[in-house]
Amino acid sequence: MSYDTNKSWLYRLEGRYIYLWQYMDGAATTMLDGHRIQLPDEYYGKQLIYPDEDITNGLRIEYTSLSEPFVDEAWESLSASASGTTISFGDGTTVITGTGLFGDFDTDGGEGIRIIGSASNDGDYTTASADDDSITISGDTFTLESAGESITVYQIPDEDASPSETSHLNLNRMLSLATVDYLKAQLADRKGDVQMKEYYMREFWKKVGDNNSNKRKISMSFPMSPFAVK
Amino acid sequence: MTIQEIMERAGTKDTTLAIAWMKDAFHLIQSNVKESTKVQKSNIIDGIRKYPLPADMIALKSISVKDTTDDKYKKIRRIIQEPTVTEDTDPE
Repeated sequence: MSYDTNKSWLYRLEGRYIYLWQYMDGAATTMLDGHRIQLPDEYYGKQLIYPDEDITNGLRIEYTSLSEPFVDEAWESLSASASGTTISFGDGTTVITGTGLFGDFDTDGGEGIRIIGSASNDGDYTTASADDDSITISGDTFTLESAGESITVYQIPDEDASPSETSHLNLNRMLSLATVDYLKAQLADRKGDVQMKEYYMREFWKKVGDNNSNKRKISMSFPMSPFAVK
Repeated sequence: MTIQEIMERAGTKDTTLAIAWMKDAFHLIQSNVKESTKVQKSNIIDGIRKYPLPADMIALKSISVKDTTDDKYKKIRRIIQEPTVTEDTDPE
């Protein structure tokens, strides 16, 4: 039984691998009826040991990747969304029901949607059709779930695995504009114009930085020092 | 913004090369500002300390281990120095 894992587990990175260690301090222990107990008169001191138990899905790694760089729709144009506690799912069916909730979704289908908040149907799906009261999906089925949970269904773009000129970059407008600068920098580099390349790369990083700082609205105020008045 | 619009603004007509550069820009952005993240979960096995990083990883955001007493994943700390223990044949 793992406990206080933030204090008792450590990792080390080497090349493509993570090395996990458990930090032990004190005497030898053993498991008794699911409880870890300390053995008397056996002091080991502080040490690192290999993981000493099986934990299903115990290691969680959060990271960035080059997944879905191109999509079929711009993020800014995704507006369809529905929330409520009256949304239900049929067992083994392809239909989500919610009276009067789904009018924003495309009646012809083909949209990507994400469901969150349900007991057992959270995930990404593709719609086949939609009307005011229901959405029918394709290529998947739902698990039976009655209305009651606070569920949100919102539109997401589908990945475009074979991008063409009509595909969208899977970035917001500010980062798409930064990408324009990156392309200009590469074109300048091809022409051997290093000065212009450097200029556009600075513009690229400036826009990436602006995009990041747009998420952090911080207000700072400073009291005026009485000694500043002369 | 469509690929065509980006190409027109940048002043290029080579779609294949433009797409390759856009992927490079996406890679750089993901490497530095972590615009969108993914999560991979794997089993921890008794006595095994070596686990592969995700093959498609660009930048690592965090590593957590599940606390089975409250079923929460908690961020763990990184060891800076090489541990004294080089092999543990009895991880108890």
